[in-house]
Amino acid sequence: MLNTNKIRLDFPILKRKINGFPLIYLDNGATTQKPKQVVEAIVDYYYNHNANVNRGAHTLGVEATEMYEKARQTVASFIKAASLREIIFVRNSTEAINLTAYSWGRSNISQDDEILITEMEHHSNLVPWQILAHEKQAKLTYLPFNKDGLLEIDKLDQYISSKTKILGLVHVSNMLGTINPVKEIILAARKINPKIVTLVDASQSVQHLPLSVLDLDCDFLAFTGHKMLGPMGIGVLYGKEDILNIMPPFLSGGDMIREVYKDRSVWNELPEKFEAGTPNVAGAVGLEAAIYYLNKIGLENIRIHERELTEYTLDKLRKISQVTIYGSMNTEIRSGIVTFNINGVHPHDVSEVLDKRGIAVRVGHHCTMPLHQKLNIPASVRASFYIYNTKEEIDKLIEGIRETIKIFKI
Amino acid sequence: MNIYREEIIDHYKNPRNFGEMTNPTIRVFEVNTLCGDNIEFFLKIVNKIIIESKFRSLGCAISTATASMLTEKLIGLTIDKAKNISENEILTLLGGEISPGRKKCAFLPLTALRKALKTI
Repeated sequence: MLNTNKIRLDFPILKRKINGFPLIYLDNGATTQKPKQVVEAIVDYYYNHNANVNRGAHTLGVEATEMYEKARQTVASFIKAASLREIIFVRNSTEAINLTAYSWGRSNISQDDEILITEMEHHSNLVPWQILAHEKQAKLTYLPFNKDGLLEIDKLDQYISSKTKILGLVHVSNMLGTINPVKEIILAARKINPKIVTLVDASQSVQHLPLSVLDLDCDFLAFTGHKMLGPMGIGVLYGKEDILNIMPPFLSGGDMIREVYKDRSVWNELPEKFEAGTPNVAGAVGLEAAIYYLNKIGLENIRIHERELTEYTLDKLRKISQVTIYGSMNTEIRSGIVTFNINGVHPHDVSEVLDKRGIAVRVGHHCTMPLHQKLNIPASVRASFYIYNTKEEIDKLIEGIRETIKIFKI
Repeated sequence: MNIYREEIIDHYKNPRNFGEMTNPTIRVFEVNTLCGDNIEFFLKIVNKIIIESKFRSLGCAISTATASMLTEKLIGLTIDKAKNISENEILTLLGGEISPGRKKCAFLPLTALRKALKTI
């Protein structure tokens, strides 16, 4: 296990009391808390280095630009991207996927083409494709998952043909916790259709297990800073250079152009072509600090820590007969996300009881309404772990669940 | 647990006036998609008085208990009196203040009722 005593000292918010109880933050799938190091990096930027980037010939402008580009380099190294030109800073994963759907999608999807995603996608990797499919009169299809929350990969050839232009695939499901074998799926997809383009939603994976875009060999990858100890308002779209080069811009205006005339403009090179307007430099600096923090701990160690917490939770939860757990019980292919229901108690009420004891979990449909429709449940309760969570906190979660069962006389 | 006192749990597990109504005067359906709560409200009105009130719902304890208590309150009320039921009266039914995060649950049945009465 990680040295959580030491780690927790870096997170002032964990000292907070909620309704008289110490905060037990189990909603990391929604957003993670920020260590002092990240907050101080952002403060330092604003106190000492703030200026607009790229066109500043003055010292501060140069400093800010260097910090921004250094952050880009850190991100590139973090996901093992081959080049800086493949790292585009955006606001979040949602924007990264929208950029891809708008820029790549609109120029490459035509009537009767097919877009394949999965039944377990987050709305951010569903709705943009749905809108695109409607607009282009293309077909949006869904690779199903089985009762263990695993994608039915053996059916891939039923869902991919020469008409399938793009495959959008979540790496770790934010509801089921399933770790999809993305590398294998991409290989299998390319065997059926060598021209297929692939986008991986790494919002719940890049910060929980070691990841390399070279290894996955995906064409696009999206992730977001605030789910990995970074600030809100910064995210990343990775795209292979060849594909980004031929894509038209997304947002337009300043910075993404090299020259502007009254009748035409010349786009800037990568990555600036996709970064219109003043960027979130402070956000990038914060994200860089978050990556340093995570690298110091080591992604492999984070995975081990979370796996132990998940194993511990599943082990205790499965002993409570009134609880239904969703997804696989095999932590080899499950990340630190445990979504469940207490039979006969609405998730909202579960969350209320837990909240009164200082425990923060998320309830609702977790931006996965089609997934909930398939499971035939209106909503669920989700506990999601990260580096600062402990077994003692999980004990309290279990106590809270038992208390809920008592109150509702289930 | 203040909000989950015996009475609320009782109304949740044994909701009064629960079920479909044959030949209702009004039927309305209201949803809170954010949390997965929904409610179907039925009213039978004769001579401007609510003589029967029923509901069906899929939701949390607070919205279900509120709906249950609300239907009890409605029987015998004039339409005008029913139209004037306030948020505060709902909170009184529930026994006082509830956390801001749960207000939408408590007011869902009231929203449904108001929608129904608007059609008259």
